[in-house]
Amino acid sequence: MKLTRRTFLKDAGLLLASLGLEPSLLPRMADALEDMAGGRAPILWLQGLSCSGCSVSLLNSESPGPADLITRYLSLYFHQTLSAATGAAAKDAVETAIAKGGYILVVEGAVPLGIKEACKFADENFSEQLLRAARAAQAVVCTGTCAAFGGVPAAPPNLTGAAGVGAALKQAGLARPLINLPGCPTHPAWLVGTLMQVLKSGLPDLDDQQRPTRFYGHLLHEQCPLFAQYQKKHFAQALGEEGCLFKMGCQGVVTQADCSLRGWNGGVNWCVRGRSICIGCARPEFALDPQFAFFRLNENDLY
Amino acid sequence: MVTQKIILDPVTRIEGHLRIDTRVDNGQVIEAWSKGEMFRGFEALLKGRDPLDAPVITQRICGVCPVSHAIASCKAIEAANDLRVPANGRLLRTLVLSANYLQSHILHFYHLSALDFVQVEALLDYSGRDPVLLDLRHWARGELNSNRVLPVAPFLPKLPGDYPGNPEWNLGALGHYVEALDIRQEAHRMAALLGGKIPHTATLVPGGLTLLPEAAVLEDFRTRLRRVKRFIENCYIPDLLRVARLFPAYAETGRGVERYLSYGAFDEADAVWMPAGVVKQDGYAPLDLSLIREETHASFYRGNSQEPPQGAAAPVPQPDKPGAYSWLKAPRYDGLSYEVGPLARLKVAAAAGHRPIAQALAAFLREAGLAEHQLPSTLGRHAARALEAQLIAERMEHWLDQVDPAAPAIAPHQNRMTGTGVGLVEAPRGALGHWITLAAGRIGSYQCVVPSTWNFSPRGQGQDPGPVEAALLGTPINPDFKGLEVARVVRSFDPCIACAVH
Repeated sequence: MKLTRRTFLKDAGLLLASLGLEPSLLPRMADALEDMAGGRAPILWLQGLSCSGCSVSLLNSESPGPADLITRYLSLYFHQTLSAATGAAAKDAVETAIAKGGYILVVEGAVPLGIKEACKFADENFSEQLLRAARAAQAVVCTGTCAAFGGVPAAPPNLTGAAGVGAALKQAGLARPLINLPGCPTHPAWLVGTLMQVLKSGLPDLDDQQRPTRFYGHLLHEQCPLFAQYQKKHFAQALGEEGCLFKMGCQGVVTQADCSLRGWNGGVNWCVRGRSICIGCARPEFALDPQFAFFRLNENDLY
Repeated sequence: MVTQKIILDPVTRIEGHLRIDTRVDNGQVIEAWSKGEMFRGFEALLKGRDPLDAPVITQRICGVCPVSHAIASCKAIEAANDLRVPANGRLLRTLVLSANYLQSHILHFYHLSALDFVQVEALLDYSGRDPVLLDLRHWARGELNSNRVLPVAPFLPKLPGDYPGNPEWNLGALGHYVEALDIRQEAHRMAALLGGKIPHTATLVPGGLTLLPEAAVLEDFRTRLRRVKRFIENCYIPDLLRVARLFPAYAETGRGVERYLSYGAFDEADAVWMPAGVVKQDGYAPLDLSLIREETHASFYRGNSQEPPQGAAAPVPQPDKPGAYSWLKAPRYDGLSYEVGPLARLKVAAAAGHRPIAQALAAFLREAGLAEHQLPSTLGRHAARALEAQLIAERMEHWLDQVDPAAPAIAPHQNRMTGTGVGLVEAPRGALGHWITLAAGRIGSYQCVVPSTWNFSPRGQGQDPGPVEAALLGTPINPDFKGLEVARVVRSFDPCIACAVH
């Protein structure tokens, strides 16, 4: 089966719908997909202090689906969880990619700037491998809150000195075009959509935290289906109760992400629809303040 | 023959950062070292936080098995606060857990392991009419004809080896690789239907689940389950049987320590489906948690400790510690290393007298042409995982039937100022325990002893090898294959190093 313009238009249509973009972008998006299918969008994916959750989340991409992503659109030069290459072959693949350059470097996980031995790949400290790979990249995409801002590994006491990729590059005096896609994990549509946009029209519109405004431009609360309950002051008073979850600790009021419109896992559910709180996993501050409990249930015991 | 070193660094197609060093003499592995290469410090960062932070944070230990961490953490907190989860909460948790088992086992077999047994290049000569394979062939040929570096990545390059020339197997497996991507994703939609989202669920909290189990959601779950179950029956199980026929030698490698431990798992309304216990040469014994110690003699942590997990202080990293070679600790049960995982669960269940599981295991071994003494092996572990996926998928319909859409799934939260608790569960990769101490209403101490910590443990106090280090001994090595045989043995344990170190 030969890939035709029709295939790319169809996939582009699905992608635009899932990204909430205007239909007028269809031809350009189809071009971007065709470029990716032509192998002109090589990806080098490296993992630092990570849980692989963003990799698993990538495999949950809905349109394009994971098989099309891996074979048709993303040219995954190397991915630690997916690459057939292992051992010396894996090291060679990464070195070949770096020597060639020009790829989009996707980084998953934080960078240990204190204990550099806390993350190694082929006998090299990840913090050094990252700099070598970033130098040769056309852009660096930080997938997940760990790569973007440090995330859970950077929570106090932060034994390894974990930091986001931006901070690591800055410390090394290395300036590269950089995009942060926080979320724990990153939503696959945020990542795939961003890669398409980088390919076609360069860097997307970014806010002062280097996040694409397309996905992170609004507070989750503004588009929450429970917004009306919030306005009527109908609050859940205990976990599992109906009502707005603000008093349970919901951070939708301070979290910039579009989960409330997009949903997760093909839109079958998301945190608040499951009557749980938004834990603010896409916030730059996620998990960093031990005094700021996710759930507010125990406040009376403490103060 | 001179002693040779084979080093796999990094081991890919696993979760996380793992390096395996071996010494090879006379064509076989005579010594092996399992080296965890990444450390974050979860136990230190949990101390002093609100107890309800723990299920949120510990899920982030692992993006492949977050549900298991959420459940272990919730159970530890429930034990410390004397909370009882209603039947609905137990069942729904089990459904989220089992949905993630299905995605994890399918991911492991097809996307992490199968490429070790498949000749990817067979695709180029494909002459049939399957649209998925034609699509793949078109892509692969186009890649090879381009002047790109690393064509057909991530499927190539790979280690040289004794991949079978059987085109039916190679092409069938590649087609199922693609189909399995959709199926594991479907299993994740199931987990999200009840868990809120995944990776990293939202609804699992101490006391039960926040969501109300609406009938329509349960039926949606059931429809998706049937699709996943059909794939397991029609693809996963037959493919496993084909691997068993094509690679009989792998029933003789990777034997391991032949000691098995399971915490028991899959809470039902008022019982637990898979029993807990330990099995070694002299048979089955009930689980005794007081026999667990974590040793740090070969681990990059200050001091050579040998502590029970309850109340233990967070480890202090010391990357230059003399004699240490891994970020993993070395868990020991009564001073001995134990294997955990699907093989251990089935062994323990059968030895504990669980007749349906024992019978299913015996029948499956017959079908795969494996003798019982070949179960502890590279092939045996893959077989146990596939059979377990099938048994779980069958059992899930029963659990679904028992959920009451009108009844709550959560008990009211209460918080004690002091207390201790342990939460035990089985992750897809094996026995998972979280130990918590409450102090002034906050987390006083937190310890996780994780499945891959057991399996990939470095040497302990007595310089005894961990289960994978032991399983590698005697593995026949062809020097031209650059360690492929080592990788096959290692992957049969389904390594998760982010979990193992945390």
